[in-house]
Amino acid sequence: MDMNEIKEIFFQECEEQLAELESGLLKLNDGDRDPETVNAVFRAVHSIKGGAGAFGLDDLVAFAHVFETTLDCVRSNKLEPNQDVLKVMLKSADVLADLVTCSRDGGSVEESRTKTLVKELEALANGEMPSAAAEAPKPAAKAAPAAAAAPAPTDDSGFQPIPFTFDGFGGDEEAVLGNVFDISFKPTRELYSKGNEAALLLRDLSRLGEMSIACDMDTLPAFESMDPEASYFGWKISLKTAKSEDEVRAVFEFAEWDCELDVKPAEASEDEEQPMVPVPFDLSALDDGPAEPAAPAPAVVAAAETASNVTKAVAAAVEKKESAAAAAAAAAQNNAAAAAASAGQTIRVDLDRVDRLINLVGELVINQAMLSQSVIENDATGTSAVNMGLEELQQLTREIQDSVMAIRAQPVKPVFQRMSRIVREVADMVGKQIRLVTEGENTEVDKTVIDKIAEPLTHMIRNAVDHGIESPEKREAAGKDPEGTIKLSAKHRSGRILIELQDDGGGINRERVKQKAIDNDLIAPDANLTDEEIDNLIFAPGFSTADQISDISGRGVGMDVVKRSIQALGGRISISSKPGQGSIFTMSLPLTLAVLDGMVVTVAGQTLVVPLTAIVETLQPEASAIHSFGATQRLISIRNSFCPLVDVGRILNFRSTQANPVEGVALLVESEGGGQRALMVDAIQGQRQVVIKSLEANYTHVPGIAAATILGDGRVALILDVDAVVAASRGQSLKPEMSLAATG
Amino acid sequence: MAAKKAASGTVALAPVLDLNEASALHGKLMTMRGSDIVIDASAVERVGVQCAQVLVAGAAAWQADKKSFMIEKASDAFEKTMQLIGIDPDKMVAKEI
Amino acid sequence: MKKKVLTVDDSRTIRNMLLVTLNNAGFETIQAEDGVEGLEVLEGCDPDVIVTDINMPRLDGFGFIEGVRRNEKYRAIPILVLTTESDAEKKNRARQAGATGWIVKPFDPAKLIDAIERVTA
Repeated sequence: MDMNEIKEIFFQECEEQLAELESGLLKLNDGDRDPETVNAVFRAVHSIKGGAGAFGLDDLVAFAHVFETTLDCVRSNKLEPNQDVLKVMLKSADVLADLVTCSRDGGSVEESRTKTLVKELEALANGEMPSAAAEAPKPAAKAAPAAAAAPAPTDDSGFQPIPFTFDGFGGDEEAVLGNVFDISFKPTRELYSKGNEAALLLRDLSRLGEMSIACDMDTLPAFESMDPEASYFGWKISLKTAKSEDEVRAVFEFAEWDCELDVKPAEASEDEEQPMVPVPFDLSALDDGPAEPAAPAPAVVAAAETASNVTKAVAAAVEKKESAAAAAAAAAQNNAAAAAASAGQTIRVDLDRVDRLINLVGELVINQAMLSQSVIENDATGTSAVNMGLEELQQLTREIQDSVMAIRAQPVKPVFQRMSRIVREVADMVGKQIRLVTEGENTEVDKTVIDKIAEPLTHMIRNAVDHGIESPEKREAAGKDPEGTIKLSAKHRSGRILIELQDDGGGINRERVKQKAIDNDLIAPDANLTDEEIDNLIFAPGFSTADQISDISGRGVGMDVVKRSIQALGGRISISSKPGQGSIFTMSLPLTLAVLDGMVVTVAGQTLVVPLTAIVETLQPEASAIHSFGATQRLISIRNSFCPLVDVGRILNFRSTQANPVEGVALLVESEGGGQRALMVDAIQGQRQVVIKSLEANYTHVPGIAAATILGDGRVALILDVDAVVAASRGQSLKPEMSLAATG
Repeated sequence: MAAKKAASGTVALAPVLDLNEASALHGKLMTMRGSDIVIDASAVERVGVQCAQVLVAGAAAWQADKKSFMIEKASDAFEKTMQLIGIDPDKMVAKEI
Repeated sequence: MKKKVLTVDDSRTIRNMLLVTLNNAGFETIQAEDGVEGLEVLEGCDPDVIVTDINMPRLDGFGFIEGVRRNEKYRAIPILVLTTESDAEKKNRARQAGATGWIVKPFDPAKLIDAIERVTA
């Protein structure tokens, strides 16, 4: 591991800390006053600062430091985290995130943003309210840029490394032993109980130069009344050194509270009296010791032996434990990954590996299906042991696939968190007050889906802030809370994830939408549209309702792009709106882009797969239930209501004339615009899970077709894009390019 | 010799003579009061001042008891630390009268 | 024999930096992610010195130090506090909890090693 890798880890960790920071601040914003929430927020900034310092990211450190100081005020209850305070903090979190991004990818954050926030943060830390700070910069604010520029609060600790030449004890700096210090040093018992050791301090002192020492044992009590853990010895030391007094004192840096210490330059030269005389020392004489070492008493020996056996046994046990611990520690290091929050319970795996696994399992599923198929073809009775084994294999394969998919599943939380920032920024820009409420952020969905929903969701959020929510004045005039609310929620529903974006704004202005659509030639002036149809016009290509293209949502990207990108994911989007009360956008997305439960059907000799989630029911139409409507339209009556009948083969141009409904099967589907359609197919082959192979990636987008798959017999089958087919059936006829699909 | 045997013993010092060991050593020595004693310092790697205090106080007590208290096979680390902290080796020895 | 260091820090970045620094300096390194894990790992790893962060989830550095000092077997181990907080108040609290010394983050590898050398034999 080198520094670059650690830096990479640092940036990953920053992402996590930033998410932690934001979610904590949002909790505080919602009135959460749990000290642990405040602590977590503080820790996040603190941790970013700590790591940034290690990599010399000074801008980041400086800002984080100011931020941290203010958070510390909250932590110590000196500052109440009210809405105003949190507004500044949330903005600061955004700047911090930008600083992290800049530190990683280069670039810089606008200085004015940083400076303004540094001022506001410092004002808060000084007990001023945000508004006051913004209007009348106080001296504290004036000092801010300097503080921001200061290269971090690194070295005010006074910890100076002590350079020493170490060559056994005693030192060898005779050359420049300019100073002589008289030192008296008497530790307290706390010095020892805190893990300091007088002997080590004396060792370090001896390394500074030439030392002579005398131990003062006067306070040592009688053996039986002594406390073995108390401190009795003190020392008088004479040190000849090239170092300054400060450098000498620095040896005692960790101990200075826990000892009596006096360091002063020696008054006269060598004529000091007694205690400074180096102790002559030679223990070697003791080695020959008593001429005949008394042979120990057997009893004592035995005791000693037993004791040593016990010691050995304990040592062995400790060793065992130790190696286990070491192994565990090594494992932990390998997963340098384990998310900081859930200690040890998660591992970090390179996404490529997971993807590879998922692909392989996908191949396995296909392979298993092909194997089953050929066995079935060669085993008419379908009762052989092979056949039964295959069924088990199928079950297992399925379970493996589910489990593997679960590895890549992730909560939508990070995406939702990004949205809260966007709401803040856009609301600020357009002068609106908006609260984002999120729900179900722990709903999990495949990572491939998460990666792709961020963009359309961002656009929708911008749109909701810009167009959905009214200005505070308008809202007040309408008797609403001047602060608008946008609710973003996620939940699972029948094998899909449903994401709802609800605003309490003015709702769709249908008059204006319709007029715009007429102006843009999207609909005929005399078209008679339901409210729902009008609302859905905003998804029409090239449609934009804002009278002026604004900075926010008018980047030439309309809701049509949003819709297309969601459809490309196999998703659907719809809107429902109530004038004066707001709109709800509902996105329904597959949980994964890797597999799909489908119904395999035959249409004009082709095999197609219809996503099971789209199908409400299947039925065998009777002649009496079929009604013609106009020249080409047919309806089927189902339980006393009429539903348009759509011939899939005709829509995809598989055939030139409509098939006879009575000879086929109708699949009742619900499309995202609401409303049902009966899709006519020739026959149902069966139901199975298929592995999705993107057509776009391998070929090109084909209207009406969502993707392709490989069936058990090795043939490629197209997966029907039900919404596109339904949409095409709404129009009078097929768009010409749709005939491409027929070649599939 | 036989009489002596019953009243003498050896204490092997632990490699690490730290805070914890000070109490242990004190306790061990307490049980051996009145016997001649040989302290085996051959395994010592680290000496904390608190253990040195115990040994010095012990030597004084044995001296008062007129029993012998000898340090044997002192390791390098033991010798050097004692020298470093300014303890005269005589302070850790009690001679039989 | 290699000196054994137990590090306790919730930041993956700092853990890795400690690991690299300490391994390069020839120490054996054992790591924990917070105070709770630190106390668990301590049992049986018998380090020569402990380096701990202060701000950590579950059990912070102050609590961890107190836990070590209460432990019959390990109470004598020197503990260095690794912290960005250099103000006297924090240092004092760490000392009162029983810290042996401190190192101010962002640490200079040389300073870290030096501080460890100072408190170990």
